[in-house]
Amino acid sequence: MAGEDAGGDRDSEPIGADPADASPDRGPQLTEYAELHGCSCKIGQSDLESLLAETGLDADRPELLFGVGEDAAARTVTDDRATVSTIDFFTPIVDDPYAYGRVAACNAASDAFAKGATEELSFLVVLGLPRELTDAAPAILDGIADAAASVDGVVAGGHSVLNPWPLAGAAVTATAHPDDLVTTEGATPGDRLYLTKPLGTQPAMGALRVRSGEFGDTVRGATDRSIPEIGEAALGWMTTPNRGAAEAFREAPVTAATDVTGFGLLGQAEHLAANAGVGIELTHLPVIAGTPPLSDLFGYGLLDGESAETSGGLLVAVAPHGGADFEAALDDRGIFYREVGRVTEPPDVTLADPTLEEI
Amino acid sequence: MREEIDVTGEVCPRPALMVRDSLEELGPGDELVVTGDYPPAEENIQRTCEKHGYGVSKPDSDEGESFTLRITIPDEALGPTTGE
Repeated sequence: MAGEDAGGDRDSEPIGADPADASPDRGPQLTEYAELHGCSCKIGQSDLESLLAETGLDADRPELLFGVGEDAAARTVTDDRATVSTIDFFTPIVDDPYAYGRVAACNAASDAFAKGATEELSFLVVLGLPRELTDAAPAILDGIADAAASVDGVVAGGHSVLNPWPLAGAAVTATAHPDDLVTTEGATPGDRLYLTKPLGTQPAMGALRVRSGEFGDTVRGATDRSIPEIGEAALGWMTTPNRGAAEAFREAPVTAATDVTGFGLLGQAEHLAANAGVGIELTHLPVIAGTPPLSDLFGYGLLDGESAETSGGLLVAVAPHGGADFEAALDDRGIFYREVGRVTEPPDVTLADPTLEEI
Repeated sequence: MREEIDVTGEVCPRPALMVRDSLEELGPGDELVVTGDYPPAEENIQRTCEKHGYGVSKPDSDEGESFTLRITIPDEALGPTTGE
């Protein structure tokens, strides 16, 4: 990938560029402005649940098809049309502002896709930057706009503020037929469980942040694959929209879905299991090649399913007889997938001695 | 021998790497006391140390977001490895 532009058709810096090659007057790096990166900046799952319970916001609302506790909220507009709305924004996951914008927008839309809403996407941009980084705003917005265009969406407006930590993302609305919507509640013991992107974005991005300087040799020596190559692969996955996977829902008996984010695969599986009142057995871990030893080095828990994912894949439960249809629908669209486990009787969610597959 | 390291203000994954380097300087029976200010760094340090055979304990109740970890090197130290 050397020499290729990670940011697509724009004049952005390749993600794998070595900072040591940069000119001496190179500006501050986006990721240096935040102590947490990407979806790692989410507050903890149990803290969030306590907060919602404490404020009463976890109660069912009759106005909504579904809301708090799901990836996105849905309202019926007409008998054949529902709107799905969601918001997601996070601190920089990469230093390149254009790539940051693309990942942030792709991640924001993913919550709508996880609920099966794939049409008429509007993005309202959320942008916060420290004074020193306001020059990065146009490139971040270009990234968001290009990501929106890649899912036939439109940037419809937004809100921007000065903020000590950079933040970017979007409030996204999308539409679907109400019958096409999917929640986390319908999973049933026996269902097959699929994941539509490999895991490992957190160690990949972590390695990029420390690959020069005092820990450069340690990080480079930890894995056989080059760090820029791992970074390129991770960026490719993080900017891959989950729209095609969501379209495939309509061609198979999908019972539940969610997207894998800062809670990691195991945390997201626990969320789905709790909402559906089932157990889950995870048996297969597809990971970005080269990331397991990096996760081990950084203590990120990738092989325990605990490593935070940014703009991760969809975790989809499919009725046992519908596995072949779902796989065919994904194959037709060229969507990556792996069967990663199955839905079981409640309450245990387990990841014991999984098969590791490097992608 | 007892060493101390402060990873306050450091951004992940640096704290885990700093601890790893410090542990390499120590021998069986030695102890490293790590202080820091960010809970995910504590989780990461604890996870990687336990996986590599070090003893990890929390000497006192943490206040706020700061943490202290006492890492002990067993007599048969496995040492930091890169395989998972």
